[in-house]
Amino acid sequence: MTATPRAATPSALPPVETPESQEDMRLLVAGQWQLMWWRFRKHKVAMVATAVSLLIYFVAIFAEFLAPLPRDHYAADYTFAPPQRIKLILEDEFGNREFHPHVLGYTVEIEAAALRRVFKPDPEQVIELGFFVDGLEEYRVLGIFPSRKHFFGPKDPTQPFYLFGADKLGQDLYSRLIFGTRISMTIGLVGVALSLIFGILLGGVSGLFGGTVDNIIQRTIEFFRAVPSIPLWMGLSAALPDDWDAIKRYFAITVILSILGWTGLARVVRGRFLSLREEDFVMSARLDGVAELGIILRYMLPSFLSHIIASVTLSIPGMILAETSLSFLGLGLRPPVVSWGVLLKDAQRVQVLATAPWLLIAAVPVIVSVLALNYVGDGLRDAADPYSR
Amino acid sequence: MSNKTHGASTDILLDIRGLKTYFHLDEGTVRAVDGVDFTVPRGTTIGIVGESGCGKSVTAFSILQLVEKPGRIEEGSIVLNTGGQNRVDIAALDHDSEELRQIRGKDIGMIFQEPMTSLSMMYTVGFQMTEAIRLHMDVEKDEARDRAIEMLQAVGIPRPEQRFDAYPFELSGGMRQRVMIAMALSCDPMLLIADEPTTALDVTTQAQILELMQQLQEEFGMAIMLITHDLGVVAEMCSEVVVMYLGEVVEQADVDTIFHNPQHPYTQALLESIPRLGHSHEGRLNPILGSVPDPYHRPSGCPFHPRCTQIITGRCETVHPDISRLDPRHTVRCLLHEESHG
Amino acid sequence: MIQYILHRVLLMIPTVFGISILCFGIIQLPPGDFLTFYVAELSAQGESVPEAQIAQLERQYGLGRPWYVQYFLWMKNIITKGDFGRSFTWNKPVSDLIWDRIAFTMLITLLTVVFVWIVALFIGKYAATHQYSLGDYIATFFGFIGLAVPNFLLALLLLYYSLKLFGLSPAGLFSPEYQDAPWSVGKWIDLLAHLWIPIVILGTAGTAGAIRILRANLLDELHKPYVITARAKGVPERTLIWRYPVRVALNPFISTVGWTLPELVSGSIIVSVVLNLPTTGPLLLGALLQQDMFLAGSFILLVSILTVIGTLISDVLLAWLDPRIRFS
Repeated sequence: MTATPRAATPSALPPVETPESQEDMRLLVAGQWQLMWWRFRKHKVAMVATAVSLLIYFVAIFAEFLAPLPRDHYAADYTFAPPQRIKLILEDEFGNREFHPHVLGYTVEIEAAALRRVFKPDPEQVIELGFFVDGLEEYRVLGIFPSRKHFFGPKDPTQPFYLFGADKLGQDLYSRLIFGTRISMTIGLVGVALSLIFGILLGGVSGLFGGTVDNIIQRTIEFFRAVPSIPLWMGLSAALPDDWDAIKRYFAITVILSILGWTGLARVVRGRFLSLREEDFVMSARLDGVAELGIILRYMLPSFLSHIIASVTLSIPGMILAETSLSFLGLGLRPPVVSWGVLLKDAQRVQVLATAPWLLIAAVPVIVSVLALNYVGDGLRDAADPYSR
Repeated sequence: MSNKTHGASTDILLDIRGLKTYFHLDEGTVRAVDGVDFTVPRGTTIGIVGESGCGKSVTAFSILQLVEKPGRIEEGSIVLNTGGQNRVDIAALDHDSEELRQIRGKDIGMIFQEPMTSLSMMYTVGFQMTEAIRLHMDVEKDEARDRAIEMLQAVGIPRPEQRFDAYPFELSGGMRQRVMIAMALSCDPMLLIADEPTTALDVTTQAQILELMQQLQEEFGMAIMLITHDLGVVAEMCSEVVVMYLGEVVEQADVDTIFHNPQHPYTQALLESIPRLGHSHEGRLNPILGSVPDPYHRPSGCPFHPRCTQIITGRCETVHPDISRLDPRHTVRCLLHEESHG
Repeated sequence: MIQYILHRVLLMIPTVFGISILCFGIIQLPPGDFLTFYVAELSAQGESVPEAQIAQLERQYGLGRPWYVQYFLWMKNIITKGDFGRSFTWNKPVSDLIWDRIAFTMLITLLTVVFVWIVALFIGKYAATHQYSLGDYIATFFGFIGLAVPNFLLALLLLYYSLKLFGLSPAGLFSPEYQDAPWSVGKWIDLLAHLWIPIVILGTAGTAGAIRILRANLLDELHKPYVITARAKGVPERTLIWRYPVRVALNPFISTVGWTLPELVSGSIIVSVVLNLPTTGPLLLGALLQQDMFLAGSFILLVSILTVIGTLISDVLLAWLDPRIRFS
């Protein structure tokens, strides 16, 4: 065997340096939220979806400002008026073309045979549009600051402006969709918040104590998952007293939705609890004499918070769809409360759909928000495991 | 099956020339096998050794075109001589062609590292064995069953008739590896490729499996290509050894030469890093310096130069050595020898 | 195996008990009871109910007695006589109204399960074996759309377009000429011709979910050592994929029926309302809106129990298919 003295050739051993070593260092010292954010940022679709979701919640917060008309404003003259088209260029009688956003008013004819009103755009009636116009009524921004300004709308608020058409009471569908955003999007949040409280409590208890308690809670979860949700929701919400006011009903519905919603979150919490209990860093904390509650709060909670956030995001769309379905059937929220489901209820009958197909537009925000939140949740879930791959 | 000629050791069964298998990943191309040449003589056992990541398994997988995307055989030939003038270049066959499928499992059998996961848990041992037999031999169901039971018996599985109907999860790891061997040999192949067949087994089982393979080689006369990182296994089993480093063959010779007269610094270092009877380096082992380089950043020149203790400074960093033939069956890829042999 | 089935059946009993309590709760939740409604309804029409009949109904359903007595009587009547109570809106025993509807619901749900499986199996297998191909991206995208679009919206869109393009409504399960006709070959064909519409609509969301699951599972399995073993044996690629990785990936797939089935039943109720199918949906909705609680509660009870049984069957099927469970 050749026995070359190693010390003789130290120069032959250059330190192994790779271009990434600096980035590696950065990775090593980054906190978990930093890592999560870096990973999330790489997920382009999830980033776009996050922007869309934030925009939708922005709409929900500033609904009064963004909607041209108050929520319950109606005009019997414009029952089922079709959507108007926004025109940007206005031509005056001398043929001068000028930038002037406007819509056209309606002429109404009665179709004798069907006894039905037919709306036609009227080139004579030019309704000028503008940004930051004064509206019909005063409202309060965020419930505090009084204002009459609207983001955009007709310069004369008494003139008809139906961007997405009108419903059977001549209410502006566009404004109502914006107001519906508030209810539909928050019912998801409130419902998930409730589910989360149940889920973390019961899932945590289940994972922490194990044994009989765990068994009972697991069986309960299985029970709720085995029951078809819609009939149960229908039954429970139909049993709500008719004389309850809108707010009471709203919260009752969120409670009903959470009755089934907590099971999924409880499973996630329990699963994380069980696997974390076995982790070395938890064990070492325990050996260091950290109290059980301290271990949970300081060591375990931070490391599954990211998973919880991802699961929560993924369960919001389900809530939104559930509320939409219930309200669509007439068992969920009811007018005067406006949600996307309440708006879709008007489209339930074929005859109505035939005269006013634009009522289906309420489906668009449902689909967009559910898709967006799903992608956000997917991105979060992928990002929640910073050490994977 | 009997027309095979297990002739003299000079008769070449498998001839691999310039084999290159690359993996195209987002981060870059990994040249897992980068110009490998060696031959497998009929009826002998050849060992392929090297550290993890040296490309020995990828070489074995390339022989049956089992490398999966993003891996790909880029260049080279793998010529199988099934006897007489019957030569076929496996590397040139389509990956799902009938010809290739006739070689897989019939001319060349293969066993793997993980006996626990290499058999499907969904089907019985018998089903998985007769599947291979019926694919390659013109036999009826009953005959296939008899053949499978016969093979199970041959690999030393007690009560083979009952085991035939067992599911793999009912067997121990050692038993499963025996089943794998029985399956690989059921169509009487000329070559058995064994990819680290004992790594996942416990020590006593390892010895049993190796002994079994030797005994079966005597019985069936096939060649064995044994991929391992365990030099002890090589010493015990092989008559020829191929040493690989970073996708290249650095030295090939018969087993005695490799162990007693290694010429490549890497082979020397490998041997120094294992405990051996009768060679007490003042009671200390010498591990190889450093670790296998990052696959995306191959060293220039000779790939081993950053870890080499006999580096020729100024040459090894830049010049990629060619193969030098020291004697008819001893080759080495090192500048030290290129210098001396001109 | 038999022990496994027995174990599962035993586990089902508390679930069924829980469901019955829940449904009884739903029946009891609204103020008043069906008898009050019934009497009020009849007297509104100027009829009066004989005292004797009222007393007899009170006794039969234990009205006015503690809830657990009422629950016990309700269950006793169901189990011994198949008597689910009375519907005051229809003025008929509930059992006269529900069985047809339940049968159609189950028929549609079962056919949808089959549809979902077959479609998802082929598309999921394709998407996994052609990962990152155009087809895979299309499948994944449709998967997301399918999850995001509630199926009653699909039904609405279908209604609207068939009305607009063909001027007819695809609602219902029968053409007018077969509506009240007795069962015949023609009626069956007519039924099948109408049935595919709700099946496709109902199946979309489930298929989307199932494709995602199958694709993910199959991607996990495709590179497992046992697949390579089979390839090294010389098994043709097509046979190999179906026989080995798909076979394993199928297991979690079948076990998803546990949650697909409740979802499909849920979905079928709303879709039936939109498409006006003679299933549970419209009648249940009507009953709930009118607070005809015996009818509604019975529907929920039966639909839920049948769902639980369906889940049980799928679990047993799974166990039978997977030798690891079958032999343990």
